[in-house]
Amino acid sequence: MAGAFTTTLYRSLFQRNAVYLTAIFTSAFAFELAFDTASNRVWDSFNRGRQWKDIKHRYINQADDEDDE
Amino acid sequence: MSLSLVTRTVLRNPPRALIPVLNIQSAPVSNDIGPKRAETPEYVVTPSRGTYDTTKVPSFKAYKTRGPPRGHQNIAYFMAGALGVTTAVGAKDTVASFLANMSASADVLAQAKVEIGLGAIPEGKNIIIKWRGKPVFIRHRTQNEVEEARKTDWKSLRDPQPDEDRVLKPEWLIMMGVCTHLGCVPIGESGDFGGWFCPCHGSHYDISGRARKGPAPTNLEVPQYSFPTEDTLVIG
Repeated sequence: MAGAFTTTLYRSLFQRNAVYLTAIFTSAFAFELAFDTASNRVWDSFNRGRQWKDIKHRYINQADDEDDE
Repeated sequence: MSLSLVTRTVLRNPPRALIPVLNIQSAPVSNDIGPKRAETPEYVVTPSRGTYDTTKVPSFKAYKTRGPPRGHQNIAYFMAGALGVTTAVGAKDTVASFLANMSASADVLAQAKVEIGLGAIPEGKNIIIKWRGKPVFIRHRTQNEVEEARKTDWKSLRDPQPDEDRVLKPEWLIMMGVCTHLGCVPIGESGDFGGWFCPCHGSHYDISGRARKGPAPTNLEVPQYSFPTEDTLVIG
């Protein structure tokens, strides 16, 4: 059972260098996306209420909300 | 006799005791630790004399890993791949931070565009606004002025340019308020051609902002602008 799994893993991912490298770059992309999202979320929750986007509604009306950023 | 010589001699002629001699009769093989070499039949050729057949490849069966096939290979490749992933991300971030250094910062971008409501400018009036630290002339031209600008023989001018190329909408003339001669700010509604006049060295511009007289070498520069709605203007 376990032997079948490890063999399948080896065959499908590591055996061909092209597949291996593609998997490395694909997972690098996914890893960066996930890492950035997670760290931004941590930062935002740590600084909740202190950032401009948290207090923006107090100073800018929705009516003339010009998107000049 | 120096120390190195001693070492070399010792290495060249190791004492008998260091060479693993298998003597079945005298010393039974301790098989508590390590793989049981002696039990593999290929290893010892003549057990009675305790000799090896050095031409024969011994069996490494006892050293083979147990567990699922490809297990250790998978782990090794996974580790190398994980290192590759983190290296790729780190390299990309390094390059990206250097490139981000070159792009415009937020305070520059915030000043890059100016929006003006055109409803407050009556026909035949000039206003001057500041954009990127320089004055910009906005002229709401009358119909007569538009006709005057269009019927001028522009091919004979110093910097030949038709009025159609200088405006998006004929009634709105938008251009930089910087004299092309030496950078003074011309005065509106003056000069010999009903347009602008630069007091510094006497350059005259017509109602389309074209250089007509004086030392100015080119027409007043027209910035990039657009009309997002009917009565708003965005410069930049």
